[in-house]
Amino acid sequence: MRINPRALLTLIGLGALLVVALWWNDTLVVHGFGDWLTNAGRITGLLAGYCIVVQLLLMARIPAIERGVGADRLARWHSFGGRYTISLVVAHTLLIIWGYAVTAHTNVVSQTGTLLTAYPDVMMATVALGLFLMIAAISARAARQRLSYETWYHLHFYTYLAVALAFSHQFATGADFATNLQARVLWGGLYAVVGAALLWFRFIVPLRQRVRHRMVVDNVVQEAPGVVSIVMRGQHLDELQPEPGQFFRWRFLTRSGWWQSHPYSLSAPPHPRLLRITVKDLGDHSGELQHIHKGTRVFAEGPYGAFTAHRRRRRKVLLLAGGIGITPLRTLLETLPGEPGDLTLVYRVNHADEIVFRHELDLLADQRGARVLYLIGPPGSDADPFLGSRLAAHVPGLRSYDVFLCGPPGFTAAATTALRAAKVPAGHIHSEQFAF
Amino acid sequence: MRRTLIALVTTVTGLIFLLSFKSQGAGPTNRPAALAPTTPGPTSTAAPNASASPSRPSSAPQTATGAVIQTKYGPVQVRVTMTGNRLTDVEAIQLPTGDRRDIQISNYSVPQLRAEALAAQSAHINVISGATYTSDGYAQSLQSALDQLNA
Repeated sequence: MRINPRALLTLIGLGALLVVALWWNDTLVVHGFGDWLTNAGRITGLLAGYCIVVQLLLMARIPAIERGVGADRLARWHSFGGRYTISLVVAHTLLIIWGYAVTAHTNVVSQTGTLLTAYPDVMMATVALGLFLMIAAISARAARQRLSYETWYHLHFYTYLAVALAFSHQFATGADFATNLQARVLWGGLYAVVGAALLWFRFIVPLRQRVRHRMVVDNVVQEAPGVVSIVMRGQHLDELQPEPGQFFRWRFLTRSGWWQSHPYSLSAPPHPRLLRITVKDLGDHSGELQHIHKGTRVFAEGPYGAFTAHRRRRRKVLLLAGGIGITPLRTLLETLPGEPGDLTLVYRVNHADEIVFRHELDLLADQRGARVLYLIGPPGSDADPFLGSRLAAHVPGLRSYDVFLCGPPGFTAAATTALRAAKVPAGHIHSEQFAF
Repeated sequence: MRRTLIALVTTVTGLIFLLSFKSQGAGPTNRPAALAPTTPGPTSTAAPNASASPSRPSSAPQTATGAVIQTKYGPVQVRVTMTGNRLTDVEAIQLPTGDRRDIQISNYSVPQLRAEALAAQSAHINVISGATYTSDGYAQSLQSALDQLNA
């Protein structure tokens, strides 16, 4: 089952309308400036509570959402949602303090004191606010570049604590919940269901898969300088039903790497006992994977990803790979249904020694009657297919192609621009960014 | 970043729209609708206070206890004192005290409501901002107490 992005967004929007309806239903009139502020504070508070649960939902790794929306798009939504949620949380806090102060004819400082000391659970919610602000600060683009992934990753876990701390004041002081059992049940149910999904799909499923499939590193093969293929061996892997183009989140149980999982696409069609990924050393955890030992135990969470044959709309397909973005496309080249002449692979790299799978690709091209084009040279050079109308010259009839696109963010952006300029409809450009 | 800004501007616009829609009903702050001459429903606890006999001349103060009005946040009930034809005191004997905010609201709204009632000499009083439900219950209970004395 797949939930498509538009359906999911509609569902989220309807939920937000219901939340506003709850306020609407509970409010007789808004009277005076203080009441305006307080009610604006109530609405922003309700929406913030709702956005938090949506944020958790997007990150719960629910298969129908992962397969339908795609992990890269989910991650973009989550980061947009994060900024929006933080804004709501801050607005809620300030509006409530100000509104209460205006109606009670006190100043905001003493009202803040009253709120903190005399209102149930507001102190906890304030700690949550502090945590949210800390997480927002470390997730901001500027800070992300200065922090190591590890630090960011660990600090991000505090969101769970913040969500828990912020929850109780919603019922204890929230006007819409304090007197409305039905609303409390629905709201609590929403949090409980999302929390259970999170626990199930992020923790219990990977554990069960580990027990069932017992995956270990079977072999490590050098493909190019700084690029290795890692082959995992396991039992009953066909039960996972991975589709070509999908990825797993891999957790290698080494001393330094056990706590983190990273997404890597399958770089070969799935086999009942073997799965292969291909990893380029990007100077982070991927560097350690270059020297992973055979026999290392592996947790695999997945399969995930919407970059599969189900997105295809046309008979003719162009696979457009930038650098290590070749990995899912290599699998699609082998498995996408098609007659000779239907499939074209354009594979751009900066230097000739970066090409991986050359032998496999040539073999597949031969077997399938596919055309494979290697373009070697940095962006802006003669080999750059996205300058002018070069892409259309390389691929005659480009307009009637479906395009599967995978590469670094700059590559994806340039390719999308070039494809749109060549009049390829946006609905026929399918991309997945692996930098997320 | 641009998308976040757009979303925030949309949210603020939506908020203002929603709130102004709700505040239209508040325009004239007299709320006769709430002041049904006799409040059917929860009038069971209403009983004229027997401390005064109606046969006495008008100089002796009379008291009456209004109906308990159940608001969303709890019961509101007042007791009135009439001296002659004048309303001379209104005392709140039940107010919502469910949480700290209820108490805070009652603390600032009840003195104002009392002053309004004494000035108006009736239950035709303004809603106190931020204390809509309390004001509503106060006016209704007050009306039911006055009805008893005028009957």
